[in-house]
Amino acid sequence: MKCKTLHKKLIFFLEGDLPDKEQKEVREHLEHCADCAAFAQEMKKTLGILELEKSPEVTPFFYTRVKARLENQEEKAEERVGSPVWERVLQPVLFSLLLLAGIYGGFKIGEPAVPEYSPATYAKNELIPFLNDMQTEPLETFLMEQNNGN
Amino acid sequence: MNEAEIIDKLQQGNETAFRVLVENYRNMVVNTCFGLLHNTEDAEDVAQDVFIEVFRSVDKFRADSKISTWLYRIAVNRSLNFIRDNKKRKWFQPFDDVVKSKKEKLNQLPSAHAENPESELENSQRAQMLHDAIDSLPENQRVAFTLNKYEDMAYKDISEVMNLSVSSVESLIHRAKKNLQKKLYLCYKKKCI
Repeated sequence: MKCKTLHKKLIFFLEGDLPDKEQKEVREHLEHCADCAAFAQEMKKTLGILELEKSPEVTPFFYTRVKARLENQEEKAEERVGSPVWERVLQPVLFSLLLLAGIYGGFKIGEPAVPEYSPATYAKNELIPFLNDMQTEPLETFLMEQNNGN
Repeated sequence: MNEAEIIDKLQQGNETAFRVLVENYRNMVVNTCFGLLHNTEDAEDVAQDVFIEVFRSVDKFRADSKISTWLYRIAVNRSLNFIRDNKKRKWFQPFDDVVKSKKEKLNQLPSAHAENPESELENSQRAQMLHDAIDSLPENQRVAFTLNKYEDMAYKDISEVMNLSVSSVESLIHRAKKNLQKKLYLCYKKKCI
């Protein structure tokens, strides 16, 4: 038997699943091949872990914990039954409205200021210069009037 | 109290029957969950949920099957769901939690005060390697192999739990062993331990 063939059969050999003839062939190979024997030993040790793990220690308070969890879940379920409309409908609606209001407000605040070009604005801009005394009465005219007076 | 009596009383909401059920089957359920989850705390946590589900859905239980088959089925489903949820959670897990869980794993390793720390350490490394190999198996193979190895269940019983034919279970376990062998050989070559 070749080493490669043995590697395919080793787990079945260790579990005693092989027919007698093949079981014997594997045993004989292991007696002569140190490398395969080492692998077989490793595999045996690793699979042996399954036996060690078989019965994990269960906490002595297991039933108490199950009972406490059961009661806790029942209490929560009762609380949920008490206010289903508020939790399932009104809360999401309220939060959605707040979100929409926030988005709308954000857009409004972020809008750039648009200059006004209405006819009233134009008229206002045009009138202002004539109301300014300095512009309606140039300095030269003022000085000439002063001289004439003297 | 026999199985039929337990079920009958449970359906009437009898608390003593529930206690008897939990005490009688807790090791079996925790062991099955442990075989798939490889962590005692998680296994106990899932096992508690299994019994709660049993308590809540006892009315749906059909008297033609055994309690143990029903319990095994719920335990397997709950454990597989737990694994799936954990995988999803890992994507969104903060880095701190990853470090914390790694630390917890390290703390589970034997301390220097153990009687034979070296062999304890080797055993825990070997166990980790075996768990990784089992976890990498396809789901059906993993379940069949775990029930067979951790619970020493016969192929026929496994077929009832998994709703498969006996020959399918036989084939699943055969393939599981082959795959495990391949993975363990690779690990041996890479000198994982």
